Amino acid sequence: MDILASSLVAGLLIGMILALVALGLTIIFGVMDIVNFAHGEFLMIGMYTGLLTAQATGIDPLLTLPVAAAVGFLLGVICYYGFIKFLMRGPMVAQLLGTFGLMLFLRNLALLIFGSEDRAIHTGLLVGKSFDMGMSVIIPATKLAAAGLSVASFIGIWLLMNRTKIGKALTATALNAQGARYMGIPTERMNALAWGMGGASVTVAGALLVNFWSVNPFVGLLFTMIAFAIVALGGFGSVPGAFFAGLVVGMITEVPGIWDFFSYTFNSDWMLDVPMTSFKYTGVYLAYFIIMVLRPRGLFGWKH
Amino acid sequence: METLRNALDFSDFPRFDLLIAGLVAVFMLVFPLFPHSAFAMATMIQFLMFSLYGMGWNTIGGYGGQVDLGKAQYVGIGAYTTAVLLIRWDIPFWFSMPLGMCFAVLWSFIIGYPLFRLKGHYFAIATIATSLVLMDLFQVWDFVGAARGLEISPIKYHPPDWWRLIFKEDIYYYYVILGFFLLGVFYMNWFRKSRLGYQLRSIKDNEDVARSLGINVHWAKIKTYAIATAFVSMVGSFHACYIKNIEPEDTMSLDISILIALMAMLGGAGSLWGPILGAAVLIPLKSYLKEWLGATAGLAGIDLLLYAIIIMAISAIEPRGIWGIVEKIRRRKRR
Repeated sequence: MDILASSLVAGLLIGMILALVALGLTIIFGVMDIVNFAHGEFLMIGMYTGLLTAQATGIDPLLTLPVAAAVGFLLGVICYYGFIKFLMRGPMVAQLLGTFGLMLFLRNLALLIFGSEDRAIHTGLLVGKSFDMGMSVIIPATKLAAAGLSVASFIGIWLLMNRTKIGKALTATALNAQGARYMGIPTERMNALAWGMGGASVTVAGALLVNFWSVNPFVGLLFTMIAFAIVALGGFGSVPGAFFAGLVVGMITEVPGIWDFFSYTFNSDWMLDVPMTSFKYTGVYLAYFIIMVLRPRGLFGWKH
Repeated sequence: METLRNALDFSDFPRFDLLIAGLVAVFMLVFPLFPHSAFAMATMIQFLMFSLYGMGWNTIGGYGGQVDLGKAQYVGIGAYTTAVLLIRWDIPFWFSMPLGMCFAVLWSFIIGYPLFRLKGHYFAIATIATSLVLMDLFQVWDFVGAARGLEISPIKYHPPDWWRLIFKEDIYYYYVILGFFLLGVFYMNWFRKSRLGYQLRSIKDNEDVARSLGINVHWAKIKTYAIATAFVSMVGSFHACYIKNIEPEDTMSLDISILIALMAMLGGAGSLWGPILGAAVLIPLKSYLKEWLGATAGLAGIDLLLYAIIIMAISAIEPRGIWGIVEKIRRRKRR
């Protein structure tokens, strides 16, 4: 029972952060129908931003979020005006490979600048502190704070998308770019804004993640794939969908723990023999595949 | 007979192209006779392998317009079949290669059936996902050596062993893969004029119209996917004998899949010469950049950085690749 409870709690917590990782992808996809392979690399840059700011200024990593958000926003806008705009004229193949090139570029730039070793934060207000919830459920304070801030960012983005004029303009651009242009919405700027928001939300997620996840230049691909799975499950372009799908995918990454619980409960030898921890993320890829085949719109999708 | 004549008939190309192609073919045939470094030889073999991969990708990705980013899983299936059969039961290459192709094609049918219900981005990402699932599986599967991989030790055999394709000198490998390469070119030349080839191009242009003309779109895609798979798996088997040391990370990683797609894209997807051109540009560039820049301390990754810039430039400026540029210039001249 203990393993099950702690796995479920861990899954929920990591799920909330993964949802924030996927949020940027779903915004960008919803507005402009382009899949950003460099998404995980944006996250990596967010992680480095959080880490380096915290180390340089000596403030707590959680306080570096505004810096990370600003860096992410700039990064997204620069990528859009400098590169993505030109990709949009080409066929879909070019968009896929173009953003893949962007991913390689950012990754190897980071490799050149930061080197390949793992880096992590060991100082900070919350590092090392945890809450004991009983039943051997221990919640690290860093994860709880990250999850909480992630939910806050989600609510912020949701309010922005649904309660403001800019959000309405973004939605209009997403639904029908040409129609939006006729109504006087600067769709070009809306696209850039989508990239900025996407970049900002994912770098914030990176700055939250770096509290308990070590960073190296190659960390991006895993998160790109996880984000794809979440976006597919939640429905391409859906903000609430991304949140709930994030929780589900967080659970999927904790399947090894749940598997352990059942193998102890049934006392079954063959179940213990299965190296489930090696398949931690395989489940996520598999989930993507199955969801896409069975329900291409996703759970909350409005666009296909 | 008709098929053979179609495969050998290149008469619809301009004479200038054929002249160049002939010169290149002659150069490739006599290349090992000139003094060359071992590095140049290895690069040439890599070039031939990747142009074959690219040709395979070109059937589904170029003619069919379905961006497949999961070809590495078939490299893995081919390589692992050959290596496992050779190491465990001493089954020679010429039997294990067709068997590997059968396995790969079978697997391609299994995943291809659901995969081709998807389109565009969704399809591309799903192919990546299947490839990664298979890689994770091979990482823990003890029978095929898990993450350590497999090693074919050449000491047990007596090179040159044509039967098992174990050689000491690269020149033998060069001629074997060159043979495959020429066969591949002829096959592709037949393919682009075949019924399936025309069906695919109509699917690429407009799927709904193709369907209304009575083409079974889903089945045509699956068939082509199997052809592409067979190509890739064949070279994968060769890869196992040539490299002799295969790991999931090397043979099945996403980078290989992307490289394959990129090569065909850069050269010009949907044309006969495209993948070959792409491989001819990218492979030497990649290996020499790595040799010159990557080896220098502190510059790790700079080769891939330049590489990434090339990818970004080609996809933003001329998505139809080098062949697209050539055709553009020609059209301008004709005016």
